Amino acid sequence: MRTVDALGTWCPVPIHLLAAAIAEAAPGEPVALLADDPLIEVDLPAWCHDTGHELVALTGDAGGYRGIVRRGLA
Amino acid sequence: MVEHTPGAYLDHGAATAIDPRVRDAMAPYLDERFGNPEGLHDRSRDPAGAIDAARRDVAALIGADADGVIFTSGDTESRNLAVKGVAAANAHSGGHLVISAVEHPATVAASRTVTRVTGALTTVAVDAEGRIDPRALAAAVRDDTVLVSIAHGQPEIGTVQDVGALVAAVRGAGPRAAVHVDAGATAGLVAIDVGAWGCDLLTLGGGSLLGPRWAGALWVREGTRLHPLIEGGLQERGKRGGAHDVPGIVGLGEAARLAAAEMEARATHMAALGERLIDRLLRVPDVRLNGPRRGRVPGHVQVSAGGVEGETLTLALATRGVAASPGSACSAAGKASPVLEAIGLEAPWTHSAVLFTLAPSTTAAEVDRAAKAFAEAVAELRAMSPLPG
Repeated sequence: MRTVDALGTWCPVPIHLLAAAIAEAAPGEPVALLADDPLIEVDLPAWCHDTGHELVALTGDAGGYRGIVRRGLA
Repeated sequence: MVEHTPGAYLDHGAATAIDPRVRDAMAPYLDERFGNPEGLHDRSRDPAGAIDAARRDVAALIGADADGVIFTSGDTESRNLAVKGVAAANAHSGGHLVISAVEHPATVAASRTVTRVTGALTTVAVDAEGRIDPRALAAAVRDDTVLVSIAHGQPEIGTVQDVGALVAAVRGAGPRAAVHVDAGATAGLVAIDVGAWGCDLLTLGGGSLLGPRWAGALWVREGTRLHPLIEGGLQERGKRGGAHDVPGIVGLGEAARLAAAEMEARATHMAALGERLIDRLLRVPDVRLNGPRRGRVPGHVQVSAGGVEGETLTLALATRGVAASPGSACSAAGKASPVLEAIGLEAPWTHSAVLFTLAPSTTAAEVDRAAKAFAEAVAELRAMSPLPG
């Protein structure tokens, strides 16, 4: 799976990096996002809602967050 | 046109001329190809494509994937990014760092800064030729070690480490620790294969490639946690913000491409002339070679001359038209070099070192002039010394 490493960057950089990777992904393809900006808990679901991509998972631990977003079919 | 006294320029480790082919590749990006590589218009396409090509050329030189290459302002920034970036990104899982006793001052300083409060820094001793013992390195690795830094080629005494064996030793001791290899003195002169070595990060700079010294790169293996040092932009996938130095990056890429093709010829030429220089310098009484006779960075020669102070000797060489550096190419202070102390030298040997660094353009005649000037200068200074000879 394609992985976007946004560790150490702050909003809005993680979403910008993810958007660029999603734009290169095929419809239905999942993309992983690594981030440690806590705002990703709000940003990622909101961005997926706004853009029509599917938020498959968003988990966190001491090292940060791992999100999985599947590109929408549109 | 600047006129120089005919002599010998053997200070290429401190500064060397950019290869004319590299300069030609850079020139358009200082002129008509000025566009912002991040832009969305026609002017952006060529600079963006040139950066991609440079990324591939740098990656090819070190046996790496292009996606892992982060462009920087040179090897000093790369060292700082490696140390501070890995430490910050792994602060949750430990903060212990391991370095060797012969690391570049930038690696030492960055490691001390990161561990200023905790003191969680272990420095591994080296032998009399500057070599790191894999067993000693492994013994220094702890459960909370996040980074181990190793200089592939030592920039003062020229020792080349067996990086593959050292990385394997670290892996056996603590699989969580990332390994950073500093190839600032060796890239383009000694073969590098990050895949075979198994390291996680590698520093290189333009100087050893005959490219711009103000351009460098840090290669990072996928999955290695790294925070940016310079923030504020999307450049380099968020790991190094700030406008791209397009001419410098293009120059670094072209220099890497040429170095990959010409490495064997360059290294053979420089090593042979380095041997010639060592032979002639050691004919002067009471002179010792610092670092190993075999397994050194090609064309890298540091000697200490008994009874002579290194900076004074370097000035005496300069008056004879010979450019060299006192002790280290990176600093000239009254203190003894920590690297020379690490290999067991004591005063006055630690204060009497002179470093000669050759280039592919160096000639045998230059080497011979430098050796002759060295013999004369040492004899003159010893004759002036109030100390018994």
